[in-house]
Amino acid sequence: MAIDRCPWYLAGPLFGLLIVGLRAALNKPFGALGGYIDLATSRPAARPGFRVPMLLGIVLGGALYATTLGTFSPSLAYVGAGLPSIGRFGDLLLLTLAGAVMGFGARIAGGCTSGHGMSGMAIGSPASIAAAMTFFGTAALLARAMTLLGGGL
Amino acid sequence: MSTRNAGLLFGSAFGFLMSWAGLSDATVIRNMLLLREAHVFLFMGSAVLVAAVGLRLLRAARMRAVITGEPVAWSIDRIERRHIIGSLLFGAGWSLAGTCPGPVAAMVGQGRFGALFVAGGLLAGVSLQGALARRRTVVKMVQAIAMEAPGTTGL
Repeated sequence: MAIDRCPWYLAGPLFGLLIVGLRAALNKPFGALGGYIDLATSRPAARPGFRVPMLLGIVLGGALYATTLGTFSPSLAYVGAGLPSIGRFGDLLLLTLAGAVMGFGARIAGGCTSGHGMSGMAIGSPASIAAAMTFFGTAALLARAMTLLGGGL
Repeated sequence: MSTRNAGLLFGSAFGFLMSWAGLSDATVIRNMLLLREAHVFLFMGSAVLVAAVGLRLLRAARMRAVITGEPVAWSIDRIERRHIIGSLLFGAGWSLAGTCPGPVAAMVGQGRFGALFVAGGLLAGVSLQGALARRRTVVKMVQAIAMEAPGTTGL
């Protein structure tokens, strides 16, 4: 069974409470990028903290959703990206490159959509506000440009 | 509760919520970026608003973090060039893939394994950036030592 999408006025405030909750539990900012950084750079035994477990938790949360409210039908298909399709193998290569550019840039900037865009904005950090404006602007312009190429991988 | 379990718990709630709200659908992100629907903007805006108020209440109450015992506190960063340059790249990748580091992990959990390629790219990207940054630090240190050593020319 598939239940309707959770409305923003429920999901948004709930995520806001998660940011507050993580601060109340660990005094840490809520960001997904850190999990990738810790996973990529440290040995399992030397891995401190909550960031890798949190990343694993996000995977689990996705699985929990799919098996309860959503549908779980494993597939390699990737629907809705802005890229024009260049064949099955080429598409997966493009997705990998997109991920690499994203990871490289986010680590330079020190945060992603959750870390800068939400947690950082919530504490009113000028760096986060500048980062969020920059990545939203870039992403919106590029999405617009890709419609001219007939995107939709 | 341990720090690890807290991470697992908060991550699970985040992953479930993003999936339920449709944020792990690249189509939804793309429609947001093309300004075709306000759902994601409203999600983010309301999350920021609730968090902004909640965080300040915690700090005003001089709360200590329940698990780590640290006083609740944070510092804010001034804008530097890296925030802009990094975000230009991040925004480009975000737009191309129609997803970002959080939602893409939720997609993997949902069984949409094409997302594994984006996640693999993310790992490669953060590793590469880390390696380049380390190398730059080493070169700077060597240069500083060479400049200080008498009778040597700088590198």
